[in-house]
Amino acid sequence: MTATPFRIIVCDGTSCINKGSRKLTALLREQLDKHGLIERTTIGLSGCLGMCDKGPILVVNPGYTIYGHVTEADIPEIVEEHLVNNRPVARLVIQEDHLYNRFFRVFGDAKFFGKQMRVTLRNCGIIDPENIDDYLSLRGYEALAKAITEMTPEQVVDEVEKSGLRGRGGAGFPTGRKWRLTAKEKTTPKYVICNADEGDPGAFMDRSAIEGDPHTIVEGMAIGGYAIGSDHGVVYIRAEYPLAIKRIQKAIEDARAHGLLGKNILGSNFSFDIEIRLGAGAFVCGEETALIHSIEGARGMPRPRPPYPAVSGLFGKPTLINNVETWANIPVVILDGANWFKTIGTETSKGTKVFALAGKVVNTGLIEVPMGTTLREIIYDVGGGIPHGKRFKSVQTGGPSGGCLPEKYLDTPIDYESLAKAGSIMGSGGMIVIDEDACMVDMARFFLEFTQDESCGKCTPCREGTKRMLEILIRITEGKGKPGDIENLERLGSMIKKSALCGLGQSAPNPVLSTIKNFREEYEEHINEKKCRAKACKHLISYEIGDKCIGCGACRRVCPVGAISGSPKTKHSIDKDKCIHCGLCFNTCKFEAIAKV
Amino acid sequence: MPTPLELIKKKRAEAVSRIIGKGYLSTKRVYVGMATCEIAAGSKDVMEVFQKAVSRGLTDVYLSQKGCAGRCNLEPTVEVIEAGKSPVKYGKVDKDRAQQIIERHLKNGEIIKEWVID
Amino acid sequence: MDNTKKLTITINDKEYKVDPGQTIMQAADKCGYHIPRLCYHPKLSIEGACRVCIVEVEGMKNFVASCCYPVADGMKIRTNTKDLRQARRDIVELLVDNHPEDCHTCERDGNCELQRLVYSMGIRHRHFVGERKHYEKDLSGASVIRDPDKCILCGRCVRMCSEVQGVHCLTQAHRGFNTVVMPAYNMPFAESVCSGCGQCINVCPTASFVEKNYTQELFEKLNDKSVIKVAQFAPSVRAAIGEGFGLPAGRNMEGQLVAAMRRLGFDYVFDTQFAADLTIMEEGSEFLERLQGNGPLPLITSCSSAWMKYVEQFYPDMLDHISTAKSPMSMASAMIKTYWADKMKIDPKKILSVATMCCTAKKYEAARPELDVHGMRATDLVVTTREMAWMIKSAGIDFVNIKEEKPDSPLGLSSGAGAIFGVTGGVMEAAVRTAYELYTGETLIDIELTDIRGFKGVKEAKVVIDGKEIRLAVAHGLGNAHKVMEMVRKDRNRFHFVEVMGCPGGCIGGGGQPYATANSIPLDEESLKLRAQALYDLDRSKTIRRSHDNPDIQRLYREFLGRPLSEKSHELLHTHYKAKLPKGIVSPELKIV
Repeated sequence: MTATPFRIIVCDGTSCINKGSRKLTALLREQLDKHGLIERTTIGLSGCLGMCDKGPILVVNPGYTIYGHVTEADIPEIVEEHLVNNRPVARLVIQEDHLYNRFFRVFGDAKFFGKQMRVTLRNCGIIDPENIDDYLSLRGYEALAKAITEMTPEQVVDEVEKSGLRGRGGAGFPTGRKWRLTAKEKTTPKYVICNADEGDPGAFMDRSAIEGDPHTIVEGMAIGGYAIGSDHGVVYIRAEYPLAIKRIQKAIEDARAHGLLGKNILGSNFSFDIEIRLGAGAFVCGEETALIHSIEGARGMPRPRPPYPAVSGLFGKPTLINNVETWANIPVVILDGANWFKTIGTETSKGTKVFALAGKVVNTGLIEVPMGTTLREIIYDVGGGIPHGKRFKSVQTGGPSGGCLPEKYLDTPIDYESLAKAGSIMGSGGMIVIDEDACMVDMARFFLEFTQDESCGKCTPCREGTKRMLEILIRITEGKGKPGDIENLERLGSMIKKSALCGLGQSAPNPVLSTIKNFREEYEEHINEKKCRAKACKHLISYEIGDKCIGCGACRRVCPVGAISGSPKTKHSIDKDKCIHCGLCFNTCKFEAIAKV
Repeated sequence: MPTPLELIKKKRAEAVSRIIGKGYLSTKRVYVGMATCEIAAGSKDVMEVFQKAVSRGLTDVYLSQKGCAGRCNLEPTVEVIEAGKSPVKYGKVDKDRAQQIIERHLKNGEIIKEWVID
Repeated sequence: MDNTKKLTITINDKEYKVDPGQTIMQAADKCGYHIPRLCYHPKLSIEGACRVCIVEVEGMKNFVASCCYPVADGMKIRTNTKDLRQARRDIVELLVDNHPEDCHTCERDGNCELQRLVYSMGIRHRHFVGERKHYEKDLSGASVIRDPDKCILCGRCVRMCSEVQGVHCLTQAHRGFNTVVMPAYNMPFAESVCSGCGQCINVCPTASFVEKNYTQELFEKLNDKSVIKVAQFAPSVRAAIGEGFGLPAGRNMEGQLVAAMRRLGFDYVFDTQFAADLTIMEEGSEFLERLQGNGPLPLITSCSSAWMKYVEQFYPDMLDHISTAKSPMSMASAMIKTYWADKMKIDPKKILSVATMCCTAKKYEAARPELDVHGMRATDLVVTTREMAWMIKSAGIDFVNIKEEKPDSPLGLSSGAGAIFGVTGGVMEAAVRTAYELYTGETLIDIELTDIRGFKGVKEAKVVIDGKEIRLAVAHGLGNAHKVMEMVRKDRNRFHFVEVMGCPGGCIGGGGQPYATANSIPLDEESLKLRAQALYDLDRSKTIRRSHDNPDIQRLYREFLGRPLSEKSHELLHTHYKAKLPKGIVSPELKIV
């Protein structure tokens, strides 16, 4: 019989590290080795487990035994008693169990999750999202019940405000203040909206959250409704998310069937129900006023604020609108309290943030880290670094309107202020890692092409200005850039930033401005030397056949314009005047004989 | 009249017993990732393989779906949780791997190391 | 105003006390700063789209659109810094960069808000020239032409069409750089719900909307010796056409207009005001008939062409409330081609009947086949006040200094009642003056119905006729008409008589009136008041102020029509309306299950 392998998780959150957790790890190895258990045991580091006051924390699996206040002196005892003799050290065991810890019972040992902390995604990946019982069994709807039973609406608002939670949709407006403003309004009816119109290309935080744990959103919204005095919630979700729609729909129906939505929730005087509205997939409808217009049946275009939705929102009524991830935080804030929530994150940004990690990293995926985690930790520890031995070049945070940050900003901690200071934005959570093969001018063009395409067309700076910026960028990447182009980009970009009507317009120039700021020399090379160092701009490169050519003729046959000539079994050549830089020959050659120059 | 908080605790107890009634305390639980991204990567086929096996007599297995755990590059993912053991997560599971997980892991207790995510 | 409640703000380092509850733009206006603006219009909701009116507010990271941001105590505003000037300039350049460079040949050359803005921003070169959008013109409509290439997407037309006019014909479509204003489903105007009111033209800062122009055709016909050219002109044309020649609003140019039209080549110049008197005779009599139980009440007026299209589309179930009396223009044309042609022994087929109207929808009305007289089109051509002003300029006629002349007889003499037809409430007032006397046989002493004058959206009044209380309602602008119609639909007994004019202020604010001058805004309330006053003054200046006292009207009935609502009247002066269901309008019979 093979003995059960052990997995030990050592909390690697900042607080535990400060209390000496890393020394424990070394000692642990030593002790395991001594008892001949090292082969059978893996040691994993976890992100903050949220029990900082009881740190350092150590978890032994199987069994999920949590040890708190562990000192170096305790290690031999734990190894000997627990691992060897199978007698958990009772005096060190703590019963603390936060909602999100359950996730790490399943996942806490993987390196990918080492720096992570699952608060909003606490149930994502461990429950059946279509089974309300799964959610209920993990203290589901207890926060709602607690709010209704033990708290006045004002106390709920106080708690949210005290938690320091800020809007996760991008702008980072203090959630509690938003709630208070809406709660203060006397007009009725009031509305509660969940903004699930996730539009950033490559972003799937909200979709995954709803697909993985829809009840959290329903519960969060119901708490919001209780706090501000609303009985009507709307989930605005894009029609391209059929599974998420199906699951949130089922969650709403199941909640109704259990008396958790509808009239007199859980026998109380509080009534609240939720309807679903589908968006047609316009990026701009993620902007709150445009989203409200869309629900009203009008064209999705932002309107100037003030008045803010808190005062005059859906159908002119006070409206509390929050993003999916913000809503997902609410049950945790209520259940575990603001005092606990406040311990996670940085001075100005509390809690965790979900990111869709994409681009040139080994582990692409959906991650949730405490605020304050650095970009370097995310990219190298969670993401596993850059694949294929390539060099890191830049990371773009905040979706298509975020900025591209170079290596020197890698130690920037993730929070609203630090990212803004570095020249990017938190955004809703897109994070794209860029390696040396990417041309920064081309990247800027790519992102701007998206925002330009998705501009609602209402305000002049965004509609006309981004078009002109895009024209200049296209010109530069095609080798037709001219002196003054960079200055014109900066001029237009800063004007749009300061003048556009909505946040989307105001942030649209970010990729361009940040790449000019951080990679200006690449722009200058494109314009002055007609050179693309990443060899990504097809108009600025040419293809040459080198000595590795064996004359197989494959490139000659695929060339659509007949630019390649050569006799069989002799080295071929490319007529540069005829070549249209399509790259087919390059991709076809099996002998790496064709080079981009 | 019970308070909402008392009511919800009762509801939780009921939910737990319903889950147990469905076989949650089986010696093996299998979770198949069924978010859009997982489905796009082929998890529906994987789910079918497990469902078929269960309907054809793979007893003592509690089969469930789950949302996205974030391992995009390794999807579809499948977790096997056995009482008293650390959970095992498999990545890039296709129909063939699913069949082998059934045969080798669920039936014979072998952890197929090369597919395990860690 | 309680001075202690005023806010203290600074604009460009100077301190001002301003009232709370207003925007930065409004406050600045009162302090002597005219912040440049484009999409803003006082009659419309705040769009905040053009971003021309941006200012700097201390403590704010970004520029602030002054049209929508409220002033606050202690606010420090700057309107003219270097950064701001450059940003504003660049924004306007961006608009021009996506606009045709055809100012010299554009209909609004010299009268274009964009052009003025480009001038005042000092745009002397272009930095950002690139691709320009291109869409086909929509020439299908009888009244309005849409040229998306000239559109700068300020959205005024969209807001006018929905917020003021309640027609909801126009909206923005597509995204980003491809954004364009169009009717629903990209329907051509001719097949859309467009009422032809032309208010989009009034508020458009450029020439993206213009009327369907008939000036060249008219010039050609005026040179044709084989036809008899007969003109008529609407009451409010005389009150506004002076503005097209740089005169201040509110000058009555009737005499100059008659003289100018004769010099343009018209053989006879009649006055639509005469036909307004005729309309009162018919409509007033129709009202009395219905008051006596012959036909449904309330009676709703039908002189406004845009209003008629609106009713046919949106209230087809209420068409039996609409007066069957034709509009004054169509009555005049019918009389020209029958009564007058007989009298003059002229072949009516040789008559070219031309109407100069304050209205673009009249072009559509003139083309309605049901208004034909003996198989002939009654009104051959309709030109707007704007087109007439241009023709007079183009023909080199000294309009401002010309000696005044009088219209021709017998379709030229009008009462004061006919004059006030051009302003909201005027038709009702004129009708009451006549109906009262026809019904009671007594003379109405106080003939000025002040309750239904003025620019309130929906006005209600009561008059007592022969001991019976008659409840009246007056609406101007189709959005207000919608409100009244909903009242009527809810309670058909609420009113006896309803007057609707399709345009804000009535015909004086028609879609064919001269463009706003450099220092005013389109549909400026002050200008409208002055135009209205010109017509009220005209009424007062006349000794005959009741339609039935007009001797030429009396003669027309004596010699030709017999009496109001006679068989001949019905044949020539009345019509019927039919339900219209353009795409996007659901038949009222259709029930949603």
